[in-house]
Amino acid sequence: MLAAVENKPVSVEAKPVLRVEGLKAYYQMNYFGVRREVRAVDDVSLTINRNEIYGIAGESSSGKSSLIKTIAGAITPPLRVVEGSVKFDFGGKELDVYAQRPAMKAARWKHLSYVMQGSMNVLNPVRKVKHAFRDFAFKHMGLSEGEFRARVESHLQRIGLDPRVLESYPHQLSGGMRQRLTIGLATVCEPEFIIADEPTTALDVLVQQDVLALIKGVQQRMGSSIIFVTHDMTVHAAIADRIGIVYAGRLVEEGSTLDVFQHPQHPYTAHLIASLPRIGDTRKRVALGGKPPNLADPPSGCRFHPRCPLAVDKCKSENPPLLARNSGRVACWRAGEVEAA
Amino acid sequence: MFKILRDLLRYNIEFTIGFILTLAIFLFALAHFWAPMPDTAIYLLPPDMPPSAEYWFGTTSRGQDVLWQMSSAIWNTMLFGLTVTVLSRLLAVAVGMISGYLGGKWDEFLMTINDTMIALPNIPILLLVYFVMRDQMSWPILALTAALLGWNYDARLIRSVTLSLRNREFTRHAVFAGMSVPQILVRQHLPYVMPVIFFTAMNNLIWAIGLEVTLSVLGFSDINRPTIGGMIYWANQHQAIIAGIWWWIAFPIIAVVLLFLGLFLLAISVNEYIDPRSRLSRMGA
Repeated sequence: MLAAVENKPVSVEAKPVLRVEGLKAYYQMNYFGVRREVRAVDDVSLTINRNEIYGIAGESSSGKSSLIKTIAGAITPPLRVVEGSVKFDFGGKELDVYAQRPAMKAARWKHLSYVMQGSMNVLNPVRKVKHAFRDFAFKHMGLSEGEFRARVESHLQRIGLDPRVLESYPHQLSGGMRQRLTIGLATVCEPEFIIADEPTTALDVLVQQDVLALIKGVQQRMGSSIIFVTHDMTVHAAIADRIGIVYAGRLVEEGSTLDVFQHPQHPYTAHLIASLPRIGDTRKRVALGGKPPNLADPPSGCRFHPRCPLAVDKCKSENPPLLARNSGRVACWRAGEVEAA
Repeated sequence: MFKILRDLLRYNIEFTIGFILTLAIFLFALAHFWAPMPDTAIYLLPPDMPPSAEYWFGTTSRGQDVLWQMSSAIWNTMLFGLTVTVLSRLLAVAVGMISGYLGGKWDEFLMTINDTMIALPNIPILLLVYFVMRDQMSWPILALTAALLGWNYDARLIRSVTLSLRNREFTRHAVFAGMSVPQILVRQHLPYVMPVIFFTAMNNLIWAIGLEVTLSVLGFSDINRPTIGGMIYWANQHQAIIAGIWWWIAFPIIAVVLLFLGLFLLAISVNEYIDPRSRLSRMGA
């Protein structure tokens, strides 16, 4: 379905732009004497290199969005960072998202932009589109009024939008145009790092393909890195260089897109990949029993064990660490045996 | 601006009627600057003359021309109403938006004051202020007092709008992009709140004019300064209805009704320009 978006591996320089170390972010609530702790992000470590597209996959309520929000530093209570750090490297300057808040605030949108979930509604319905560009980007670019306008117009033309959209209200534009605008808004400052939360959800496949090609094109031209979240594996296949699989708040597997699709090492990933429809394949898909665990009360040991066909006693008591294996990393006690199963 | 006005006049019948009514009343009120006699002078003319070619709306029992009295009275009443409206809108918008957007302790503090004010009865407080101030009572002080009593319900309404805007994607994006709280409130949220302000302003203007009329009819204002309520007060003092001097009461009431009607029609149609979405729904989209 997404064949037209060609996913060629790009030369990824091994220069980390983002380093997440041992990140734990919990929703902590204490109402009417009842303490509840939802471990939405539990001990996640990952590195994203310059010029790389990193996809985060996982089912609903697995903590994908919480992870990405925590990385962006856009969290509000009750979600809190309990442990760990998120560090960006913008042109040799290291920035710790949670230790250097003022510097981080200044870097936002200029170096780090964010396409939020439901981003079709990013534009204020009662203001013209041009005001959104002015409000978000003007002060970060240090240009005069006229130069700024010219820059925005040429940027819009490059992403296939008529500059006249600047004079319209959001309701006068189609869903696809609004999505393009949102991406245009996030890329107009040419940031080094772009965070995208479900950028293509709620779009039909044609527009989706269009938007993916756009993201890829913008990324290749500017040489920026992207981390993006979606539950749609076909989208990952189309544009991600590397994929991280999240299950119940933990990163369970990570590897290059090709490896993850062809040789999944974690049983959860294997099922995820096996559930994808393939042209010409008429075998019945086997559904995995159970449902994602309640993160307020996660299972002991490996969080996947109640649903895992390969689970042994060790899985119930001990949490498997995320270890390097083949070209990627995987967190499973029986990682070597998955493909055989 | 001129084009907007032209299009509204051309395509919107409510606006056209409202515009003509309000403009006519405004011009009529404006005319008092060229009045042939001072509006506080009494017994200059023969009293109790019915409407005629010489005295279009007749004269009062106090020897004043009803036409020129009304001209001054509408001007003063409108001035009072607008002052109250502007002052109370400032309060309502500031309190409503700050409390809705910041939430938490600010919200609790401001809404406690707000709800306390709602519980207080207006007229007894205004009467108390009048009796305390007595001779120092002037219309600006009365307007200020009324404004302090007239913002509470609308602050709650504006708060509720801001509360829903706070969780919209565009607000979260604006926060992420580094806009400050005042910037978000003024640039992102105020345009959304604008139609609400316009509508409540309308309501408030009518309330303020009504309040002025009520207080003046009872004599709790500067009775020598002509206002719509003041005219009715004097007409009652001279038992105009029993004496058959109907024009002393009928014309001020007709004028104030026309003013209400004009302002109301203006408000509902101007809203259409301010809110782009209601403009669209009118076009049948």
